Amino acid sequence: MATTNLLRRTITRYSNSLRHHQIRLYASETPNENLKTFSIYRWNPDNSSKPQLQDYQVDLKNCGPMVLDALIKIKNEIDPTLTFRRSCREGICGSCAMNIDGCNGLACLTKIETDDMKTASMITPLPHMFVIKDLVVDMTQFYNQYKSIEPWLKRKTEGSETGKEILQSKKDRAKLDGMYECILCACCTTSCPSYWWNPEKYLGPAALLHAHRTLILCKVVTHTLEPEIIPSPPFLYWWISDSRDEYTTERLDAINDEFKLYRCHTILNCARACPKGLNPGKQIQAIKTKEMMSA
Amino acid sequence: MKRLTGLQKQVLALYGGFLRAARAKAPEERKKIEAIVSEEFHRNAKEVDRKNFIYIEYLLRRGAKQLHQLKSPNTISMFTVPVPSPPSKPLP
Repeated sequence: MATTNLLRRTITRYSNSLRHHQIRLYASETPNENLKTFSIYRWNPDNSSKPQLQDYQVDLKNCGPMVLDALIKIKNEIDPTLTFRRSCREGICGSCAMNIDGCNGLACLTKIETDDMKTASMITPLPHMFVIKDLVVDMTQFYNQYKSIEPWLKRKTEGSETGKEILQSKKDRAKLDGMYECILCACCTTSCPSYWWNPEKYLGPAALLHAHRTLILCKVVTHTLEPEIIPSPPFLYWWISDSRDEYTTERLDAINDEFKLYRCHTILNCARACPKGLNPGKQIQAIKTKEMMSA
Repeated sequence: MKRLTGLQKQVLALYGGFLRAARAKAPEERKKIEAIVSEEFHRNAKEVDRKNFIYIEYLLRRGAKQLHQLKSPNTISMFTVPVPSPPSKPLP
């Protein structure tokens, strides 16, 4: 008798859990609250269709928190023809720069908008750049402008006599903070209205930030070579020490141009767009100050 | 003769640029390059819809890049590789 009771109880419990299971199954058929729509810019040069926005639905429950996770999920599971650049997925390579919901940023550092699940997230390539395919843009112009400011160390004299590398002091190194972090993702340059109207002539915030970096870098190195000649008030030596760094004046002259440098109207979209939290506008302002000092 | 549009002039200028760049190469290579370039231009002239500006501009930019590479003295010859046509439908 006791065994039959036990048996009956297990059966009812089992059927109870079965019913529970059915209810759960039913619940999953109701509209999923975790579905997010992504409208993604598509254009393929190989078929002659016009550019269009294509919608994809992603279940955020099985997806990482960042926009790049969603893009990779779409490419893996829904549409393998979707094309975009990505590499490090942690904001250090700058490959996945794109326009997300109207703001330039790295897809790997931008969270998926979850406050408003009903409206779709729009993902388009960087604005005012030539599209090669889908979210991939032509960066040739951007890199050529970076190249044009000669972002390397140029010296007329030889290195230190011992033939060793030229060391930097911690204080001099600190001067490069706010510039060396730039990863050349082109978020700032393509967010600048001035750059939109004069992309051929204006260098753009990213290239100018690096122009300032090289200016300072050259100086820092010459200072480490002859530390005893540094004038005591630190704010003075920017232009006083020009005589020791022969290339500084040449660099300043090279970008002293109505278009190359002075198309910056301190709109500061660059600072807002930068995914690394830098302020290229401030560095451009510093170059302008130096131009004024050297004139 | 009909007046040419800006886009047509750009295409012709690109074609001329390729022929001029080919002149700097060895005579045999020059013939090959000219054949490839002429084939490419004539095929696109036939196949591409003349009002598909987006695509024509894309081809112009691509061509300008290739011309830049060809102009380099390090480039001595040019090859083409047949590309299989992409699948019409996205894979399941």
